[in-house]
Amino acid sequence: MAVYERIWRRYDGNLLPLKWRAAVVTKYALAEAFSSRIFAAFYVLCLLPTAIGVFLVYLSHNVGLLQKVGLTTEFMGGLTAVFFQFLFLWQALPAFFVAVIVSPSLIAADLSNNALSLYLSRPITRRDYVLGKMAVLAILLSPITWMGGLLIFLLQAYLEGNNWGIENWRIGMAYLVGHVAWIVVISLLTLAISAWVRFKPAARGALFGIIFILAGFAEAINAVTRTSAGDLIHLTRAIANVVLSIFGGPTEGDLPIAFNWFTLIATCALSIWMLHRKLRAHEVVE
Amino acid sequence: MKTSPDQGAPVLELDGLTVKLGKRTILDHLEASFSGRAIGLLGPNGAGKTTLLRTLLGFYPPTAGGARVFGRELSVAAKEIRAEIGYMPESDAFIANITAVHFVRLMAELSGLPSEAALERAHEALFYVGLGEARYRRVGTFSTGMKQMVKLAQALVHGPRLLMLDEPTNGLDPPARKRMIDLVCDIRNRGTSRIILSSHLLGDVEMVCDEVLILKNGAIADSCDLAADRQANKHFVEVDLETPNAEFDRAVAALGCEIASLEPGKLKLVMPAEVSTRELWIAAEKTGVGIRRLDLKRDSLQDIFMRAMEGN
Repeated sequence: MAVYERIWRRYDGNLLPLKWRAAVVTKYALAEAFSSRIFAAFYVLCLLPTAIGVFLVYLSHNVGLLQKVGLTTEFMGGLTAVFFQFLFLWQALPAFFVAVIVSPSLIAADLSNNALSLYLSRPITRRDYVLGKMAVLAILLSPITWMGGLLIFLLQAYLEGNNWGIENWRIGMAYLVGHVAWIVVISLLTLAISAWVRFKPAARGALFGIIFILAGFAEAINAVTRTSAGDLIHLTRAIANVVLSIFGGPTEGDLPIAFNWFTLIATCALSIWMLHRKLRAHEVVE
Repeated sequence: MKTSPDQGAPVLELDGLTVKLGKRTILDHLEASFSGRAIGLLGPNGAGKTTLLRTLLGFYPPTAGGARVFGRELSVAAKEIRAEIGYMPESDAFIANITAVHFVRLMAELSGLPSEAALERAHEALFYVGLGEARYRRVGTFSTGMKQMVKLAQALVHGPRLLMLDEPTNGLDPPARKRMIDLVCDIRNRGTSRIILSSHLLGDVEMVCDEVLILKNGAIADSCDLAADRQANKHFVEVDLETPNAEFDRAVAALGCEIASLEPGKLKLVMPAEVSTRELWIAAEKTGVGIRRLDLKRDSLQDIFMRAMEGN
């Protein structure tokens, strides 16, 4: 039927299974994110640390090239531990910036004109909706973080041989667990903030505030009390310590690693509570 | 407890449905069953019409009792029920920074349509509601009337079995209101979708609905079958004559009509089933009297509504 005939009819074709409806939320949110060319360019830049890491690992195993640039074959051997930890940081930081840029658009646009009631009047639940939006961040951040990290780790293990991969399994595990934990924490946190603060610049400011100002506040508590109690609200230190503990290196502060895990889990729980309170089809005044 | 879909089941069954928000009882033990093509929810502001719709969508959990839509139990099959519903909310509900066709397509895909079918249906729905020329404009730039129409388009794009319309004519000027009512009537007449229309405008409900549920303070004040009522009273006529005319009265009585004179020149007639209004016009012509007004008169929805509001 021609679309201009102004006749309404029922739809009798196939339907997407109910369990896949949340994927529609993800699909449209991803398309929205990449509709900005500036963001697309920034995202490509965020892949740079991984590309550099791959190049350095390749370089360290290419004697001819090393000699040409005036380095020795000890180049990679001397960098191993520091290199991977440094690379982790340079993957996690851009991931945070990507989350800060994308997240405020994910939920605030739906909330500001009550579109959530339209989503939830269809066969998707609030949980589906949040998972659909979180999947956007997971899809965007994974190539920058753990996928890139594992790629470098596997490349190094392949080129090095001699059971290097098995002997250094902690590096691969740190990339996987550390980055996935980081993605979950910042995804939930940024979505929760964007649900409560609908003005995008304010939401972005709030996210920076929570990460960096809270870190400063935590340091101040540590300095005043001469303990590591402030680390309980120090998100970046918590994730750093979790990763360092998996790497097998020394951690910062005196708190046992379980407390750092507690900080991350508590942040997730608080974010879920904030989303639960705010993501409703309609405000309920009790 | 019945959860499976049933083609022959009533559209809506309320089974002692009670909803409390905080300490306030918003819906109080509603018991009713409706099978008509279009069901009207009437009541003053705050009567609980919108809460009832939102409860049927699963937004608010019932505190007691339950409800069934097409035979499916709300507490067990909320997702399946929502899959069969198109909902047009009362307040503004849209995504401002995307085009109308993109918005309606998103809603169609959320309802389960494959991407290509969703795009085709989005175009069709927008043409159907009269937004064909504006479909590539951002929804945020639309006027109030256009936003109402785009809300209708997203509600019907997936061809739902039940269309829930919450105050669809809110904020519309008279021509736009007529267009909206005409569209809803057209959907009703096609018979493939049932309609629940919530409104405080009696005229809208009267034009669209077969059955009416009147709510007052969260409880059922009255319910009536307008279709049956229309059928029963279709030969009840009010006639205003230019001048009183006894000859016309006799001619009409000769047709078999019962006559009651309200005041000079104003008659109330009950016509036999075989007599049509055309014969009244012929009688007027023969007796040389002018008919100023001729109304098919019945116990109007306004009468029913006012009685319900006045009662306890």
